[in-house]
Amino acid sequence: MERVARIFVNVIFCIQILLTFLLFFEDRIALPPWLQVAGRLHPLVLHLPIGFFIFLAVIIIFKNQLEAKSAERIIHLGLLFTSFVASMAALFGFFLSLQDDYGNDALTNHKVTGVLLSWFCYTLLIWNRQQRNKKLFYGLGAITFLALIVAGHTGAELTHGENFVLAPISSAPKLTMENASVYEFAVQPILDKKCFSCHNEAKAKGGLVMTSVEKFQKGGKNGEAFIAGKPSESRMIKALYLPMDHDEHMPPDGKPQLTSVERATIEAWIKSGADFEKRLDQFADGDSLKFIVASFAASNVTATEIEKQYDFPAVSLDVVENLNTPFRSVFPLHQNSPALQVDFFLKESFQTSALEELKTIAKQLVVLNLSKMPVTDKDLAIISGFINVEALNLNFTKVQGPGLKDLQKLKNLRSLSLAGTSIKTDDLEHVLNLSNLREVYIWNTQITEADRVALSKKYPDVELVGELFSEEKILKLGKPRVENDGVIRRGDLIALKHNMPGVAVSLGKNGSEPDSINGELYKAPFTAEETFVLKAKACKKGWYCSDVLEVTCFVEGISPTNAELLSPADPQYKGKGGEGLIDLQKGFADIFKESSWLGYRDQPFAAAFDFGKEISLNKIVISYGKNIGGYIFPPEAVEVWAGKSLNDLTLLTKANPSLPTGYTPNTVEALPITINAKVPYRFYKIVAKPLAKLPAWHNSKGEKGWFFLDEVFFY
Amino acid sequence: MENEFLKNRFHVTRRHFLGKLSLGLGSVALGSLLIPDLLKSGQDGVPQISGLPHFAPKAKRIIYLFQNGAPSQLESFDYKPLLNKMTGEELPASIRMGQRLTGMTSGQDKFPLVGSHFSFKQYGQSGAWVSELFPHTAKIVDELCFIKTMHTEAINHDPALTFMQSGAQQGNRPSMGAWLSYGLGSENKNLPAYCVLLSRGRGNGQGVYSKLWSNGFLDSVHQGVQFSSSEERVLYLKDPAGRDRESTRKMLDHLAQLNSINYKEFGDPEIEAKIQQYEMAYRMQTAVPELSDLSSEPDHIIKMYGADCLSPGTYASNCLLARKLSESGVRFVQLYHQGWDQHDNMVGEMPLQAQDVDRATAALVTDLKQRGLLDETLIIWGGEFGRTNYCQGNLKKNNYGRDHHPRSYTIWMAGGGVRPGLVYGETDDFGYNIIKNPVHVNDFHATVLHLMGLNHEQLTYKHLGRRYRLTDVAGKVVQDIVA
Repeated sequence: MERVARIFVNVIFCIQILLTFLLFFEDRIALPPWLQVAGRLHPLVLHLPIGFFIFLAVIIIFKNQLEAKSAERIIHLGLLFTSFVASMAALFGFFLSLQDDYGNDALTNHKVTGVLLSWFCYTLLIWNRQQRNKKLFYGLGAITFLALIVAGHTGAELTHGENFVLAPISSAPKLTMENASVYEFAVQPILDKKCFSCHNEAKAKGGLVMTSVEKFQKGGKNGEAFIAGKPSESRMIKALYLPMDHDEHMPPDGKPQLTSVERATIEAWIKSGADFEKRLDQFADGDSLKFIVASFAASNVTATEIEKQYDFPAVSLDVVENLNTPFRSVFPLHQNSPALQVDFFLKESFQTSALEELKTIAKQLVVLNLSKMPVTDKDLAIISGFINVEALNLNFTKVQGPGLKDLQKLKNLRSLSLAGTSIKTDDLEHVLNLSNLREVYIWNTQITEADRVALSKKYPDVELVGELFSEEKILKLGKPRVENDGVIRRGDLIALKHNMPGVAVSLGKNGSEPDSINGELYKAPFTAEETFVLKAKACKKGWYCSDVLEVTCFVEGISPTNAELLSPADPQYKGKGGEGLIDLQKGFADIFKESSWLGYRDQPFAAAFDFGKEISLNKIVISYGKNIGGYIFPPEAVEVWAGKSLNDLTLLTKANPSLPTGYTPNTVEALPITINAKVPYRFYKIVAKPLAKLPAWHNSKGEKGWFFLDEVFFY
Repeated sequence: MENEFLKNRFHVTRRHFLGKLSLGLGSVALGSLLIPDLLKSGQDGVPQISGLPHFAPKAKRIIYLFQNGAPSQLESFDYKPLLNKMTGEELPASIRMGQRLTGMTSGQDKFPLVGSHFSFKQYGQSGAWVSELFPHTAKIVDELCFIKTMHTEAINHDPALTFMQSGAQQGNRPSMGAWLSYGLGSENKNLPAYCVLLSRGRGNGQGVYSKLWSNGFLDSVHQGVQFSSSEERVLYLKDPAGRDRESTRKMLDHLAQLNSINYKEFGDPEIEAKIQQYEMAYRMQTAVPELSDLSSEPDHIIKMYGADCLSPGTYASNCLLARKLSESGVRFVQLYHQGWDQHDNMVGEMPLQAQDVDRATAALVTDLKQRGLLDETLIIWGGEFGRTNYCQGNLKKNNYGRDHHPRSYTIWMAGGGVRPGLVYGETDDFGYNIIKNPVHVNDFHATVLHLMGLNHEQLTYKHLGRRYRLTDVAGKVVQDIVA
């Protein structure tokens, strides 16, 4: 027995040390979940030391009734348990305090007294074990009892709030605009929240006490806090407006600051004479204070409306979990709210049974979103069973209208969305009488604007939102788009697309302009033999024709078996070397660092192409980049050579491409060179000279230009 | 691996255990207090699928129309007639107050003020000033809440952009959308909670990069999913030719089995995330085609957004897609529109940029309102900082440019619990300093989270030994703009 007792005493001592440590270092501690559970047992455990202690007191008082030895033993055992449970209660209390947000001061009081109590119990235990002075033991017992009461009381205040015990006999009447002065109703609550914690009778920072009207009027050490009628000369107003880092700024940095509405309220109150008695109706109509306070009160009303309290019970989390599927989200509106929202997604997966299953949460369902689901009028009967629904979204459902009658049962309905359905005016009138209904969305329904206006007049409490956009101006269509990406392989179909239903796309294939009246219309995808410039525009009735799309379609030609660079590209833009010119990989107009591109500046581009056998070519197309701002131009001069071997080439043709005459967007363009070689050759060589001097109109005129190419095509 | 470490920590012999018991109980408890992961079960690594708002949210979803490159507030919404009067005069030192400059203007010895080339008018009941470049936005000013006093700490694009997106200038932190996905989860489990859409205007552009929609240290399920600018919005989503849904389903089931075996062996939460991503991709195969289908949009919707909305990759088409995504419960749709960096050609580029975004932006607000969704969707329009009131380089006769200006810029928000028709904050007559109601980027983040029902101080994630927040150690909710 004694051995067990000794272990127990040691354990209790350890807990005391831990408690004291926690008292100072709790900030550094993060709580693992299992200890959070222990923390939540605090309200249970804390009753044990109270019970044991009272039991102990009773035993001590009546100890003469017992056998002396038994009494000693019972007291010892009792103390052992009391001390143990007291320290456990304190420890669990710490765990609990780390989980929730309690008021700071009250919590500190409770913590300190709790730890003290635990220490006192431990001291009592040791005192008793060592059989020291009995009188001192009883004195210590009395102090412990006192600590028990204080700790118990501060704890109760944390859970139940201050004045919990006496509240029933001392409740204050609720302040309203009608029965209270403007000071009490509008100003004092602000001071209470932001100022009183430092400027009260107990603390009185700067000698200023604001909690009593008299002392507030008198001011602090540095003089009056305010001068009635003169806000700009009042110390407290000045303090509010001083920069944050100024020493005299109030409330001090780090404390909650006043919002601009709060500042304006206090300013207006001082301006209007800083009266502590006057009620709102005693102010003149134009008075700024009256205006501010009235709107302040109005905004408070809406705030409470949003934080609505519900009187139905919450369903268990399991019920919510079980109702959740990938196609139906069910969740509380926020933490601790019994009200639920349900959203449906993916119309293919919708079934009426999914709606029926919600009957288990019929009371809790407050927001129901069925937008785009194939809900019909029949389903509305099910919905009418969800009596607490406040917001119902039926946008783009299959609801026709007659079923709206059923919704009359939804007495709490505030917002109803019916946009994109085919409801008619008569059907809608069934619900417009609902007393809580505030907004109905009827855009894109059978209800005309004239009907909407008429209904709005008839039901002034309901905001009916219809078509909000009106513009008669004719707009221009967007350009059509070529669907193919990159190089078009031989035989591939070239397809055009425009996302506007019912548009006609007209084409211009070889540099000619598309003509929407007489020109060629795009009907089906087509093939092309060689690279060409495609022009196209889209037209539709009721719209202006689009701008002309102009795009080069690069078409695969005869592929050489080998391509070799005869002059190296700039080290920064080496790309994939000669191979990159015949790999059918196109570069982008903006990213010249990418490996599709070869860049030349200080020396001409020269490359040899081997076809493996002799062929006669008609045309060569060089695909080059243009980025005027980046000095990237077409080449100044191009030469094409050909021969039966690389050492024996003859010049076939020379070309001087036309140069741009101003800044244009970045593009990748085709440079066609016609050869018409009558004789077949195996080797072809292309030489292209970058522009030696940028033209006079360019920002960097006279500098060397760049020549970038990504591909060469042969036809 | 992690499990192995943990197991090792539990390899305590009986003697060792009992020997420690006398003083041991306290130290075990303490040990697990200081190292919270010590006694954590492996299941904790599984990503949090859905959280809940801390309190009743005003907004359920966000569409952030990010104007990348920093649109000039002085040519859009912050009207400063004084600058027109003083054009060509030097910026007073008393206004500049030692503001640091970028490398682009630090060499300049003169800072000539320049007024807007474009005229301004007041609109709506709120009387908000809007420049002639934004005629469609002007029509909806009574729905908007302008914040004229945004200010940031960074002066160059990358840090400013990163700061605006993630609350830190250096990167590697989760961006706003990732935080929201972590805090609120996805409303629609068939689509990612955080989608990113890119477009590019005709002005001087600045890059966007995937770190801006990174999940940082959060689980990778919270990462932004970038949609393609091509016709096929999510690439490689279609089943290959010849394979039907049935066999895809079977393949995924078997794959999931294999993955679970690996998960059991290694306990790597990324494996679990992978299984979930495959499942979502499978459901996206139905959800996404429904979204990119424009044929169900009525003609007048197309007219409202402008014909560009039919060309994938344009800002207008992204706005239309953003509406569809948001309508389908996507928590955070992030658009980036590039091209707002007008250092030298304000007169030429600003109208083109404005033209690209104005109509579609206004259409998005109107469209949501018509559907009754504006109340629950928060729309944000704005860039990463403002532009200077003086000219960068020499002031030309008909053109000018503006450099980066972190001290004040304008953004607007609409819907989702912000006060409509409000112009919040004031800058001085030079359009340089804030004189009333400043809103720091941290405050902006705190406010956005507040509107979504989250307390920015409670939305934390522990990483490398400390708790992180989107607002880090700062930020105050701007209650005045909350309706």
